Amino acid sequence: MEHPQTNVNAQITPHYRGMTDDQCRLIHRASLEILERTGVLLYYQPAVDLLKKAGCYVEENRVRIPAHLVEWALRAAPSHIRLYDRSGKPALQLGDRISNFGTGSDCLHILDHRTNERRDALCQDIVDGIRVADAMPHIDFIMSMFLPSDAPDAADVRQMEGMLNYSAKPICFVTYEWEGTAEIIDMLEVVAGGAEQLQARPTAILYINPTSGFRHNEEALRKLMYVAEKHLPCVYWPEVGRGLTCPITFAGAMACSNAGHLAGLVIAQLVNEGAPVALCTAVPFSLDMKTMVVPYVDPDCKAFGLEMSHYYNLPAFNWGGMSDSKLLDEQAIMEATLSLFVATINGGNLIHDVGYMESGLMGSLELVVICDEIISWLKASMQGLEINEETLALDVIHEHALSGDFLGAEHTLRHVREDWQPRLIDRHNYEQWMAGGGTSMRERARAKIDEILGAEPRHILPPDIEKRIRTITERVIAASGGISLKD
Amino acid sequence: MADMVQRIAKKLYQGDIEAVGELVQDALDAGMAPGEVLKDALLAGMDEVGRDFKEGVLFVPEVLFAARAMHAGMDLLRPLLADSEIASSGKCVLGTVKGDLHDIGKNLVTMMLEGGGFEAIDLGIDLEPGTFVDAVREHKPDVVGMSALLTTTMLQMKATIEALEEAGLRDSVKIMIGGAPVTAAFAVQIGADAYAPDAATAVEMARELMA
Repeated sequence: MEHPQTNVNAQITPHYRGMTDDQCRLIHRASLEILERTGVLLYYQPAVDLLKKAGCYVEENRVRIPAHLVEWALRAAPSHIRLYDRSGKPALQLGDRISNFGTGSDCLHILDHRTNERRDALCQDIVDGIRVADAMPHIDFIMSMFLPSDAPDAADVRQMEGMLNYSAKPICFVTYEWEGTAEIIDMLEVVAGGAEQLQARPTAILYINPTSGFRHNEEALRKLMYVAEKHLPCVYWPEVGRGLTCPITFAGAMACSNAGHLAGLVIAQLVNEGAPVALCTAVPFSLDMKTMVVPYVDPDCKAFGLEMSHYYNLPAFNWGGMSDSKLLDEQAIMEATLSLFVATINGGNLIHDVGYMESGLMGSLELVVICDEIISWLKASMQGLEINEETLALDVIHEHALSGDFLGAEHTLRHVREDWQPRLIDRHNYEQWMAGGGTSMRERARAKIDEILGAEPRHILPPDIEKRIRTITERVIAASGGISLKD
Repeated sequence: MADMVQRIAKKLYQGDIEAVGELVQDALDAGMAPGEVLKDALLAGMDEVGRDFKEGVLFVPEVLFAARAMHAGMDLLRPLLADSEIASSGKCVLGTVKGDLHDIGKNLVTMMLEGGGFEAIDLGIDLEPGTFVDAVREHKPDVVGMSALLTTTMLQMKATIEALEEAGLRDSVKIMIGGAPVTAAFAVQIGADAYAPDAATAVEMARELMA
């Protein structure tokens, strides 16, 4: 800078907050009171024993956690989790207000892009879903999308096999029972080259879903303690429903949700100080109190509770790109767009469920492809403004303004590629659009899917590793008494 | 008397527990037959609640308070009713299957069944198939209701039906299932008799199963 200037603040990204620090503090204080006074029920004795030893007040399986222990756990937990791709390169940073996007898991149905019909999901749909998600430049991590009706036994192990085989992206995964969890982590270790390698460069994060903020079931706790012991990342999200398992009013609901998450955080930190845990701290869900359906998209915005994660400086799990609609219609696109926007502007780190429909019961590959475009648009719109000599371009203005010709300016050429470019959105004039087939966005999404699935599947693992993964899968299937998959 | 009946039904609909108790006592004091109070005021009131719930007029907590108001009235009537008058629409045992700690849907169905004149026995959550078997032996219900909220626990419904078969009790009961991931097709697949997508339909289904 030729002439120094002081006191210029630049806002390099848009700025938004859903809650103030003082409000966060009130929720935090309420959660501490809940944990210390009301406590939680833990249905797993080793977890109860662990907390008792750490100084909690225990009556049978009711555990009341003192505030100092919670605040110790908050200090002990890492503020960031880094996930790696299959080649060992850093891929995702979970923390601060950095947003990463991915699909969801275990939809029972698929909206088949070929027939536009809703049908039971099959094993093949898992593979197709992974391949499509893998090909999307803005889908940052993958989940298995479907629960296959043709192979319900050991489906979680089959899902992991598919994800490892067909995508190099980081994985967020669910295991059903306790059984199979260790084997699935074995598979990840095989691919990473060993347990230590996986620990140093985790490629996947386990999503654990305990029953509620106040009731933590055995399997969820076992999984939490297992991954904490191995220092592998997990998401711990007790579901807390407004008016069901907590007060209907938002503040109380947030305090309960937060308390449930913090209970999980304390357990993980007691197992292994520094265990990487992503929470969704103060995000209760709402129900339609007429139908008891849990709407996935909702203006009562689950998302501003993410402020608590930011307040705690912890990685935040969240949702986006989904819909309650049964059709891929106006509602679906509206809800997918708004949910992605709200999750992003609130700074969700691990925004999952892209492509979910029918309140989480159906998945759509077309919606995944359309969301990829929405995410791309959002990424561009979240870029801040850069003001400097080059971007102000006063000399260029002076040279070209009066002639009215910036098109031929060297400066224009230099920056012409910086603007966002659509992949799926159409911005041609009418004649150009007609000449290109006059297609709808959905038709273009469908064509993209056909193109991806029509190509030869990309096997990303070396054959010997793929074989070792297969052996583990076969072993678990055999143990579960299920039928083997066709190769 | 007709006025009295209507006032009870109205207060029941509004979920005014205290008022229903008082009005039922007033009706009895005025010489109304307990069986009449039950049928014309309480059950008729709950019918309207059930109807409006299904129509989407009432919210679940409103239904809950209406059912509690009905119980307040029933508590006064029960000692006065002859056994034949109590005779319920049927007996149901309900529970959430093994591995699943969710109880809200099951509680709601229990409540609606009671509101619909059924005797409903809530077995609780996270129930082993054997617990259902024992309950069927003990209570001899007409209907067994199973709930699961998780795609991972819904298979336990199948295990429970198999356990009832092994115990030779399957044919003594009708089996009704429900829960977010459960479908009519799944009910057929595992050999259940009925599937109810919501609590109001569960009452209708239970009535059909009794027919």
